[in-house]
Amino acid sequence: MSRILPDISHWPFDTVLVANRGEIAVRVLRSVQKLGLRGVVVYHAADRNTLALQIADQAVEITGSTPVAAYLDGEQILAAARASGAGAIHPGYGFLSENAAFARAVEAAGLAFIGPRPEQIELMGDKIRARNFVEREGFPVAPSAIEDDDPATFNERARKVGAPLLIKPSAGGGGKGMRIVRDLSLLDAEIERARSEGLRYFGDGRLYAERYIECPRHIEVQVLGDGQGGVVHVFERECSVQRRFQKIVEETPSPALDEALRQRICETAAGIARANGYRNAGTVEFIFGQGGEFYFLEMNTRLQVEHPVTEEITGIDLVVEQLRIAAGEVLGYGQEAVRTEGHAIELRIYAEDSDSGYTPTTGPILRLQPPQGEGVRWDSGVLQGGEVTAAFDPMIAKLIVRGRDRSEAIARADQALADTVLLGCKTNTAFLRRLIRHPAFIAGDVHTGFLDANPQIATDPPLADRTLHALLAVAALSTRPVRDGADAVPDLHAALGAWRN
Amino acid sequence: MQHAFRLGDAEHNVALSRSATAYRLHLKDGRELPTDLRTAADGRTWLTLGEQRVEVIIAVQGDDIFIHLDGEAHRLRYLHPLERLAAQSAGGADDIVRAPMPGSIVSVNVAEGEPVSKGQLLLVMESMKMETTISAPRDGVVQRIAHEKGQIFDRDAVLISLEPVVRQESDT
Repeated sequence: MSRILPDISHWPFDTVLVANRGEIAVRVLRSVQKLGLRGVVVYHAADRNTLALQIADQAVEITGSTPVAAYLDGEQILAAARASGAGAIHPGYGFLSENAAFARAVEAAGLAFIGPRPEQIELMGDKIRARNFVEREGFPVAPSAIEDDDPATFNERARKVGAPLLIKPSAGGGGKGMRIVRDLSLLDAEIERARSEGLRYFGDGRLYAERYIECPRHIEVQVLGDGQGGVVHVFERECSVQRRFQKIVEETPSPALDEALRQRICETAAGIARANGYRNAGTVEFIFGQGGEFYFLEMNTRLQVEHPVTEEITGIDLVVEQLRIAAGEVLGYGQEAVRTEGHAIELRIYAEDSDSGYTPTTGPILRLQPPQGEGVRWDSGVLQGGEVTAAFDPMIAKLIVRGRDRSEAIARADQALADTVLLGCKTNTAFLRRLIRHPAFIAGDVHTGFLDANPQIATDPPLADRTLHALLAVAALSTRPVRDGADAVPDLHAALGAWRN
Repeated sequence: MQHAFRLGDAEHNVALSRSATAYRLHLKDGRELPTDLRTAADGRTWLTLGEQRVEVIIAVQGDDIFIHLDGEAHRLRYLHPLERLAAQSAGGADDIVRAPMPGSIVSVNVAEGEPVSKGQLLLVMESMKMETTISAPRDGVVQRIAHEKGQIFDRDAVLISLEPVVRQESDT
């Protein structure tokens, strides 16, 4: 397909406000500016020293009782859009990206919402309605019990679906409040816990339970729809390597699919998007059993964290496509124009300690040196001199590598991880290297429970003596009291010229 | 003189002395290795230690030394001799309940001055989108609650302190 940039002269907006932070704000601003549009970003004071503010044409401060609350405050964001002359709002992912009321308010204010129509968010944002819609349209869904159907009998119906069960808040996403129940005697207690978490995160305690597929893979399909009849899929992403229900490594193509299965799952996704006249970039997620069966999981009506791997093998800038669609353009190409070349892997760099249960870490970013090299892409919002705090999600960067094939991509990923220098705050880069060197990963034989089944990957191995001694030497030579102590008792033979403080 | 660094959970003792051209690292097994750390004109820093010569990237903040070596980041902490002495005689670790990870307070289930028993729920915190319950490490009385509902904290922050145990003679 054509890589010529669209002509924006007739677009209904010339300024785009990004209602997000971190790496995704940077990612969106880059495409906005590439097209010759003005990019505005909102920010909370906690994000003052971040890359998004440096590259934005304008930054507008927003406030809130917590930093997260500021980014969830639709009214303030709309006011910032008006004040900065923005004609469109890009919500990124998370925060307000799947909030139908916000999308509606944006459109009511006469601005373009760079996303789907509000009704489409409502349909797909509610797992139950989404599932019913997909089932009704003739696409595959997993056996389940839905609380809303008859709240009084929910526990009983969930029990009937049988163990193992997965309980989820119906308004949820990102693994929040999800629980696996293998022992049905614990079902009632687990339902209460999930409900409490659902209420707190989403203000909605409704649940649904579905049969948990053992050792499933998570395969999702990128789609693009222009809301004017044009829909294509942009192939699949394999996101099976997860910890705590959150993805950490994503790749495309999926090593689990042969050509026929790839075509079937991708066309199912495109069919679901087509059935609701979808507008925007979106992702249809599937749960994929070891026998090759797959079921609709959910549809995310926004840009996805892992979208870069798709961009890397197709050459399609998904943010540009979102902007074009929001400006009223039609896709202008068909499925046959979407081609792939090579293999791409994304590794999420988290500020966390894999060795102690993947708990988040915080700290200053004293030194930051992103990796470079052929096929290496670094999407990040943090800067040297900045800080990782507990205020936001601990994902601080994404490393994306492309190769001619999967093994070249893995080799490049390993080198790029080794070349990633981030000092001051523990990250998961060493863990990611152990992960991608694991024989099961190299064989492409992973499932969503892979890391739980192989906890040794998360454990820091003991240091070799050689490494330990080198570290102690550097530490001793870099610590003032130690070095001063040594210098205070000079070797009788030490030359005066060797003093180098 | 011996110095100590903490690396992970372990403490390591080393000594450093001058040599004719640079330094010597004295390891606890009695070995002495010639060593030096030099930054070249291009800004890259090289460690020599015995036969090893490796590039390192270093960041120092306070007593923390962060080192990128051979593709991995490490953190060492210098342990001041006086602080080590103090830590050894302090005791009473059970008096303070610290955050096992950074997060925020979902609910505080006790009040200051309230007697609690071992295992009793003190508060619920949230981290990584999951709730974690924090329970009393022993019987005691809540002395201070450091955070209110909704507040965020870093790992190892003091969440709740219990009144120190006063040893008493038995009543009977």
